[in-house]
Formats: sequence, C-alpha cells, structure tokens
Amino acid sequence: MPTKHSYADLLEANAWIRKASDAFYFQCTARTVQESKLFPVNPYIALSYLNAWYRYPDLFRKIEAAMPAEEIGDYARERSTSANIITNGIIEQFYLGGRQMLMDMGMLKPTDALDDVMYVLDFTRRLNLSYHRNHAHILPTDAGLSAQLLPERQVQVFEADALGTKPGDKLHTAVAQFLAAVSQYAFLKNSECRLGIHNSGPYKVAQGEMLVREFVDLAESDLPWLDGVAADVELNNITMPVFMKDTHFNIVDDWASFEAQPSYNHDNMYAVGLYTSDYLSDGYLPVHMDSASELADYLDHLRDSIHAATQGLWKQVAGWSRDQMIDSGLLVYYNVPKDLAHIAGVYDQQDWYTVEDRVQRFKPMFNDEYGNHLIAELVGYISLRSQQGNEYHMAKGSNARGDMWSTIPYSVLGDDEWTESVGPIRGGSTSLPQKTALYTTTQGKLTQEQCNEAARALRVPTLEDGLRHLDDTWVKNHPDDPRVHELYRRTQANSFALKDQGAGLLREDVLRLRKGAGREE
Amino acid sequence: MTETGAIPDKWGGAAMNPTVEFFHSAVRKLVAERLAASGKSWEEAVGDPSLELTREDFVRIEAAMLATGYRFEASAQVSAVEEPDKYKPEGVIGDSGQQPRDEQGRLIVGAGDNVFHAKSDITGTARLISTVDVVMDMLLNGVPDGTIAVIDDSGGTLTAPILEQFTGVICMGGTVRSHLGILTREYNIPCLMAAELDGLKEGDRVLVEYSRPAADAYAERDDAGRARIIQVD
Repeated sequence: MPTKHSYADLLEANAWIRKASDAFYFQCTARTVQESKLFPVNPYIALSYLNAWYRYPDLFRKIEAAMPAEEIGDYARERSTSANIITNGIIEQFYLGGRQMLMDMGMLKPTDALDDVMYVLDFTRRLNLSYHRNHAHILPTDAGLSAQLLPERQVQVFEADALGTKPGDKLHTAVAQFLAAVSQYAFLKNSECRLGIHNSGPYKVAQGEMLVREFVDLAESDLPWLDGVAADVELNNITMPVFMKDTHFNIVDDWASFEAQPSYNHDNMYAVGLYTSDYLSDGYLPVHMDSASELADYLDHLRDSIHAATQGLWKQVAGWSRDQMIDSGLLVYYNVPKDLAHIAGVYDQQDWYTVEDRVQRFKPMFNDEYGNHLIAELVGYISLRSQQGNEYHMAKGSNARGDMWSTIPYSVLGDDEWTESVGPIRGGSTSLPQKTALYTTTQGKLTQEQCNEAARALRVPTLEDGLRHLDDTWVKNHPDDPRVHELYRRTQANSFALKDQGAGLLREDVLRLRKGAGREE
Repeated sequence: MTETGAIPDKWGGAAMNPTVEFFHSAVRKLVAERLAASGKSWEEAVGDPSLELTREDFVRIEAAMLATGYRFEASAQVSAVEEPDKYKPEGVIGDSGQQPRDEQGRLIVGAGDNVFHAKSDITGTARLISTVDVVMDMLLNGVPDGTIAVIDDSGGTLTAPILEQFTGVICMGGTVRSHLGILTREYNIPCLMAAELDGLKEGDRVLVEYSRPAADAYAERDDAGRARIIQVD
C-alpha cells in the first residue's frame, strides 16, 4: 500500500533535506577541523548520529504530546537556553547523518522508516521556522550568515541597560578574562565540541553593532559529569550582549559562531551587559548590573569558579576510559534537543543520557581512524557510495556528483516498497556515572520532577494574553495599540532604564533614558 | 573490495578511504547474506530484530582488517594506550637535516599560520605538550616561565587547565579557526596553527614570528606570509 503522505509533503521534506545538506556542507568545510588528543572526537560524532536516528522520532512525539514544536520555538526565542541556533538547527543534520551512514552500510534504503523521517523533518522545520521568526529565515545561511533572532523590544532593553566601558578599565579587563575562561570551560565540559557556545545577531546599535554572546549548561544541570566539579558555578546559562565600535560582524553562522571585519578586537568593546535565563525564567534576568564596578567584581568571581571547575573536570576526564570519553561526546551531540523536553516539561535524564543497545553494538568497529575518515567522507568530501548522484549532477558548493543527505524517493506514493519506522526506543546504557546532583535553574536547585512541574506551570508573560503573535511587522502599524504597550512593558519589567516606558521609544529615546539611568561610562 | 550488498547502486563507487571501504563493504555483504538466508523481502527483514547485526558481527569485521596486518592511526591518546596492538606507533617531529637559514644564518625549524597579529615576536623555550601526563605534571607543578607550547592537537581540551600560562603556542594541526585558535585568541596568547616542523627538539630556544600578519582563513595558502620558527642560542 502506498504511503498516506501527500506529494506536496514529500516535496517539502526533500527540499528541507537538501537545504540541510547544503548548509551543513558549507559549515563543515568552511568552519573547522575537529580533532583532539584527549577525546576520540570523530568516532563519538558518528555514533551520536546513530543514537539520534534510533531515538529522536519517539522522543519528539513525546515532547509534542505536551507542546507543539512551533510553540517551543517561541518559548526558546524569549530566553537563552540550550535550544538555540546551533542546537535547533543541527537536530535534523545529526538524524539524517545516522540515516546516511546506515544506508552506506547497506542496512537501510532511502524508503525506510518513512513515517519517522517525515515526522522528524516536519518537527525540526516547524521548530526552526518559529525560533527564527523574527528574521523570517529558517537558518542563518539563508539570511546571508546573520541571525537577528530578537525583536526591537528586547534589543532596546539590552542597549539601554548596557554598562559603558573602555580598554584598561576594570570591567573591560574582567570581560576579556571571563570570556577566555568560559570559552575554555565550554569546550571541555562539552567534550571538545562547541555546543556550549552560542552567538546571535548582529544588531545595529548607536555606536556600531551588538552581538549577543551566550554560554549554556555551565553549572550542575543536565551534564552528569559536572556534578560536584561545577557545584560552585552559580549560573547555568549566561547571556552577554557586547557592543562594538568599528566592527562589522560579517558572519554569524548556523553553528552560532562569528567572524568580524576587521577582526574581532576586544579593545573595540564600548558597552556590555550580563543576563541569565533558562527554561524556567520568564525572560532575561539581569545579573549584577547595578554598576560597572559591581559587574566587574561578579565576572571575576564567576571566572574563578569556572576556572576551578575547569581544573576539577579536567582531572576527572584525564582518568576516563576511551568508552567513557566516547559516551560523553556522543551524548553531548545526541542530546542537542534536550532543552526542548525541558521547555515542554517532559524532561527525563534517561531519555537523553542513554546510548541505546542498537548503537552500542557498533562500538567495536569505531576505532579512531575509521571514525575520522568516515566523518571526513560523510560531511566533507561527500565521497561515500550512497551519496553519489548521476554523472551529470553538480552539487551546490562543490559541483561534485555527491550530496550529503539522500532525499526520499517519490515511489512511495505509488508502491509498497517502504517501511514506517525504526520501532520504539529500546534500552541502553552508558559507561559514565549516573547523575546525582540537583538541577541548577533560575528557580533554584531542583529535582528533575520539580523542573518539569515548574516548566509546565510557567507562563512566559510576553507569550500570554494574546501577545504571542504580535511581531515587529504588526508593531510597525499599531504603535499606539494598548496590546503593543503591554508587550513592551512586559519585556521591560527588569530593565534599569526602560521599566514601564512602553512601546513608543525610538533610538534617541533609548539613548536619553540610558544616559539618565547612568549606564554610560 | 567494493561490495554492493543487497541494494543495487547505479552510480555509487568505492569510498575514498580504504578502512571505510573495507568496513562498509563487509557490512553490506553480511546484510545481503543474512537477507538471502531469511527468505524474506527487504521490507519484512529490515525491522526484524532476529536478523539484526550484532556486536559480535562488528568485532569480526574489525578483526578481519587487523588480520591483514593493517594498523590504524590513533588520534586520541587514550585509544592507543588502551589497545596498543591496534594502532600504529605515534609519529615524532621529523628532522631532514636540510633546514633553511634566516637572514642571520639561524636555522628555520618550522613555519605556521598566525592566529592573530601580536605586537612583537617572542623568544622562548619549546616544550612538547602532547600527553595527559605532561599536562598533569604542569598542572600540579606549574608551567615553566617562557614556555612556547608545541602541541600536536588543534582541540581545546588537552591543554585546558594550563593553556593560559603559555607564553606562546605552536600547533602542528588544525586551522586558525580550530578550537585552539579560538581559545588562544580569547586569551591573547600568540599562536601558530597548521605548523610544519623540521628539526625542532624539546627544550630548544626559539624565536617565533608572531608579529607577522594574521593568516587569512579564506585565502589560498601563502608560504611566504607564514610565520617562521627560528632556532636561537
């Protein structure tokens, strides 16, 4: 019996597959070379793709039973969480990577697990469309490598409240030292991958451009190996809007990394803010921003705790077995959608920190060399057998015969040569210690069940009472509507300079109020 | 060996890498054999747990390659430590004995891509940082002053607890956009990436041209523009 999916559904799904394929090719060939003497990076990346393939369909159905993907995207956009540009955008890449590997091994046809593939593609498309609603693209590559996630109301608050600073002063130095320490820590706690570091923007501001820099999952939270070593790290997620003069951020890409012209020079930073937020906060919460001096002291304090956590974690990791190192990286990659479950209030540690038995069986084959070359061929050279198209084909970006991810054959609309699913999630294991500590949140240290209860009870004010669908396009033509004033007031609730100022502000008003609040240097 | 397995492929060829080709051909062959023996159609067989490949199957596939005498290249230290018989011995810095000399007649023992333009060149002591044990020793006993760390790993984790104490870094891999490049830029520690070394030894005093312009990540390689590593007395 042919599939019940429509021709239009398949056309849409295949276009998303190809967009993902082309975008990932650019990222993988232009951005980095992954290697480490500490972690077997590419073996764990490849194995994470397989875990994604077998487990995402059921887990996404579980999440959507509580909250639709497009609503989760709205919730994610109002705060900084681990549901961000890189993690949301990379979900379908990892899933399709598992599919392609299995096809190349002759264990799968492109017509297999059709209902799962269609669902995961639809879920990720709705999630990313919603998350990127403000700039109306689905990936930063579609926006010319920029990611303006935030509406005017939020950027105004960041600009109005940022604390002025200049090279050589206490805050300027503290920010530089903090950014170095937290970047270092982010790579280590994520087993050499960049998933803990996030950037969005840029936004045009009074003296140049603003980039929103974020670091996530820093404290005792989901990563079980941070239990104990990160007990003194107080904030799980950090958002730092940095304001730069004489700097154009020409690249903010799908992996949330940036490049600037001229090169990023910290001396050009003239203002900065610090916020925290998570799946339990109702927006961005300012952190020690009463004065530049107070913020500098707090950043030094935070840097010290992060430095201690780095040293403690490194000593722990240095004693791990290869299997433990594989599992940590595999799980960090595989669990990129985990905060979607947190937002929906259905998070289960076992869902996101288990290497399923169907994946464990492959491990004996994943020596370093095979892992390195498999990933190089899969996402770089596009040279695997299963990836090759006809002899006339010229792929985007490479003009080669191969495309990274195979599309779904339309034959499924007319015959019965297809299968539905990989089947339900099965059991598994991990070689790493189980999580024991509480979860660090903006509502305190909580148990998993308390996190889920609080998430289900949370109502983000800017998404409630009919405000959810009021975007900048609507605001433009309704500047005096009572609803737009309410939307802006709710965004300004924690602002030093803009509290209760409402929706009528333009930049000169923001700068006047900022000056009045003593936020300039 | 290019095994097509149970699924015909009009346009496919062999994988680029022999290990990938060996493994995937072996898996395809095994799947085809198991499918044929089952008497089932593909759609009946693909989700049948009784026909799934097992851990033992994958053990046998890797063992078959090792039985040819082939040994794998290790990337993580732990891999070769746990299974030394499976991996090739680790390479060392070569010494051609034919190094060029600079304008002052000193040996040029390497060159690399500058991550950022530093205010001046730096002279220091080259110390090879390539194992967990070396990092642990420096973590516990301190990094000697003036250390120019020679690292064969472009990642940001091996040297995580001591990176900020280096005077300079020379990395034998990666690109200026690798994790180590990102971190040295954040720490403002001068760094060369993708360095090619010839005759550099542990403890050598070297001058590194960190004041050369930063490498352009998108440009073709410019050998003349690379920063040199010069052996000094």
